[in-house]
Amino acid sequence: MSAWNFIKHFPCKNLSRHIFKDRVKPLCFFTSYTPQSSFSISASLSTSYSSSSSSCFTDESFAAPYLSVRIHCPKHVLDSFSEALLCFGASSVAVDEDIEEEDEDAASGSSLASKEICIESIFPVHEEVKMCISQAANSIGLKEIPKFKVEMGDEQDWITKNQDLFQPVEIAERLWIVPEWTSPPVPEAVNIILNPGFAFGTGEHPTTKLCLLLLQSLIKGGEAFLDYGTGSGILAIAALKFGAASSAGIDIDPLAIKSASHNAALNNIPLEKLELHLAPSENSSSGREIPLQKEQFDVIIANILLNPVIELADHILSFAKPGATIGISGILSEQLPNVIAHYSPFVEDISVATIGDWVCLSGTKKGDFIDN
Amino acid sequence: MVQNNTIPKQKRRPNIFPLSPKPSKNRGSSLSLSSRSPTMAAAKEILTRRPVAATIRLTVPAGGARPAPPVGPALGQYRLNLMAFCKDFNARTQKYKPDTPMAVTITAFKDNSFEFTVKSPTVSWYIKKAAGVDKGSTRPGHLTVTTLSVRHVYEIAKVKQTDPFCQYMPLESICKSIIGTANSMGIKIVHDLE
Repeated sequence: MSAWNFIKHFPCKNLSRHIFKDRVKPLCFFTSYTPQSSFSISASLSTSYSSSSSSCFTDESFAAPYLSVRIHCPKHVLDSFSEALLCFGASSVAVDEDIEEEDEDAASGSSLASKEICIESIFPVHEEVKMCISQAANSIGLKEIPKFKVEMGDEQDWITKNQDLFQPVEIAERLWIVPEWTSPPVPEAVNIILNPGFAFGTGEHPTTKLCLLLLQSLIKGGEAFLDYGTGSGILAIAALKFGAASSAGIDIDPLAIKSASHNAALNNIPLEKLELHLAPSENSSSGREIPLQKEQFDVIIANILLNPVIELADHILSFAKPGATIGISGILSEQLPNVIAHYSPFVEDISVATIGDWVCLSGTKKGDFIDN
Repeated sequence: MVQNNTIPKQKRRPNIFPLSPKPSKNRGSSLSLSSRSPTMAAAKEILTRRPVAATIRLTVPAGGARPAPPVGPALGQYRLNLMAFCKDFNARTQKYKPDTPMAVTITAFKDNSFEFTVKSPTVSWYIKKAAGVDKGSTRPGHLTVTTLSVRHVYEIAKVKQTDPFCQYMPLESICKSIIGTANSMGIKIVHDLE
């Protein structure tokens, strides 16, 4: 433990990350599948996986350092100063409402409490903070540069806070999504254990709920399921738990693939049942095709965003058998007509489910495209 | 909470999809979050007056929000659901050109829920883009970096007018404010660029 304390203060990012991760993440799943070559993850990914085996689902960009700056700003120029800071190089500007009230209540006698407010600002690590602040102050006509204090941002701070937020979620009766570090509240229910890392899909978002409910109604047993945009793998795993014969997951984010394979292991899913593939993103130069057969799947769900769903419509549909059910989500209700317009030439019997502003569209792929 | 609508094959018009009634159940889960359009947010604010924890301002590329810095630490500090924000923000900014830096203002409430509004890029960004410069002048007022024509100002004003907050402002005032910002950046506005 004393070594841990020492390391924490040591400005060595990688070292602290290794030690931290060993305590949180169970490494046992890695050793239980001994022949690494039988991992059905695309080849380029397995090499990067083994090299960072002790790191969690954060890569360099997440653990990037940042500068956390506290600035004391006169209240009356708060808005314009915040905007100016953002123009001149700050990544974000946050104003605590709490502190303002505390100062007034405490009546500490400091006249600054009523005239100044504290701004928490985040700057990229190579930015010249002093220059930015003085330029911002000049641009709005402040006579003097406000007082400020710069600290190195502690990335573990917000990463762990984010993890703590995830609680068990009940999607439907007897269907729960449970974080890795909690025990299931209802042991007899269908429990999907997850550690999403930084991939999307904890079951809390309305789109995930809509997709899970759709999946539950569609999977009768023995289907082949494709999760396009798998994120944490939640839908692919859920399909297997509902009785699908096999699941496949595709994502453009390597972190998502890592997260999904970790979650598959958490739910004791054998490799043959869940394939994961990294889709080439737009700016990758390799013309690598996804190694999945066309017209192979009975159910496909794509929970992404409007633009990808529209651009990839043909691609997504190409993996579906004729008569297969397609589910599309990640769409706001105002975007729905657009999606329907793009999918209706190929999909019939369209129905829509809604939670709040989010919708999920489902339909069946038309049998043939020959004009009758 | 969940509605199912089957659409007859021929008609696919928007008004067939009624939104479900305001999902009060959504907020029953242990992590309530809400993000709505500005007008509804204003109405809701008046009705409930949830205690506000903080106001956060950020610049995020349209369609490109990820839980990494700067979004991560800025929102993580207040225990806001990062993935939910990213998904919501990305969905709502799909109509903008990808990676356009959008100005986002997030109101974080004490119960870890939040609302946010999205504005088109800052005026200074448009000015810099139009002028083709990276940074403004180091000594505005004394040193002019480059010039723009009133035509540029007009185009920028037209885009800014689509912002929720500028909709009722006359174009002339928006133009004046743009000219003011340009001057503070050391960029002169002239009638015609030769």
